[in-house]
Amino acid sequence: MAEFRLPPMSRPEKGKEWAAESGSNTRTLTVYRWSPPEDGATAARPRLDKFTVDLSKIGTMVLDALIHIKNTMDPSLTFRRSCREGVCGSCAMNINGTNKLACTQALSELKGEIRVLPLPHMRVVKDLVPDLQNAYKQYNEVRPWLRSEKPAGERERLQSPEEREKLDGLWECILCFSCSTSCPSYWWNDDKYLGPATLLQTARWVEDSRDDDTEARLAALDDDFKLYRCHTIMNCTRTCPKGLNPAKAIAGLKSRLAEQNRRS
Amino acid sequence: MTSSDNTPQADRPLSPHLSAYRWQLTSLLSIAHRLSGVALIIGLVALSFWLFFLGQNAQASALVKIIFFSWFGKLVQIGFTAAFFYHLLNGVRHLLWDFNLGLELPQVYRSGYIVIVLTLLLTLAVWVGT
Repeated sequence: MAEFRLPPMSRPEKGKEWAAESGSNTRTLTVYRWSPPEDGATAARPRLDKFTVDLSKIGTMVLDALIHIKNTMDPSLTFRRSCREGVCGSCAMNINGTNKLACTQALSELKGEIRVLPLPHMRVVKDLVPDLQNAYKQYNEVRPWLRSEKPAGERERLQSPEEREKLDGLWECILCFSCSTSCPSYWWNDDKYLGPATLLQTARWVEDSRDDDTEARLAALDDDFKLYRCHTIMNCTRTCPKGLNPAKAIAGLKSRLAEQNRRS
Repeated sequence: MTSSDNTPQADRPLSPHLSAYRWQLTSLLSIAHRLSGVALIIGLVALSFWLFFLGQNAQASALVKIIFFSWFGKLVQIGFTAAFFYHLLNGVRHLLWDFNLGLELPQVYRSGYIVIVLTLLLTLAVWVGT
């Protein structure tokens, strides 16, 4: 049975209000904080810290604000980031209620106080860093690589432009897991349901003309949970920072699997 | 150096989810579909009670008439009608999705709003004038 409320020790409490930067143009960010207990100490509840930053000192994105806070206010603030241009998928987080990449989310597009939380319904390693082990394990489970009986030839395995086109909207995924962690079905069943990110990747290989393992890939999804816990809620497509459509990819998998089972 | 890597999973907090995620048409209509389904089941049980008592003696049928046509009973009936139309229309939406139709986000929003408006109109059509 799904647990709709956070466990008591996971409920954030009011945190520290850091000295505000002055300036004519400031924004306040409420940021989720939690650190693992020092050896021997008992774990504290997460807290929501407030930082007010002077916008004239920073770039335009939420990530710029977080980096500024880390550099000038609290060096212990922890978050993942790498490319700062929306191709690495490291800085996915929940910003004002939906999952975004901090590096491509403009501060000016957000209204009021900005609330920054880790990706939803994940175990927190520290501050804005969620534990992605389970998500990666599931991704690995679908064998996201080319599987073919044909030996590698002298040159690349070729595709027609039409075959290549089928991968558009699938290959662009950067595995930031914004979609999976926006999905209520994934919240309640992340141990058994693969989630939109991993299913989109499955579709990426199922649709690939060079891959010969289509049948087994589809058959591996054929239980009550792995694929069919998708109830077409559409939060995934609504939140994808790359503008992809995991829900549509999943619907495609469902009909291909149904077709395969009908024929056999 | 704290032992962040060996912190047991259970000691790590679970990040906020349902309480923190912004409600949007997508999730709202999805949960409404489920709730209207539950309402229809309960309503069906109530409906069979009504029919059952109507077939009994005059006193029993008079009593259910009082209950079902009290302001509260009427409210429940209107809610039941709305749940019926919503579940029916949104069910058609799901059927189309299962045929891989209307899965682009703008289409999802358009069909969502259409379902809401039609639910209201059909419910009104049934109840206005009664």
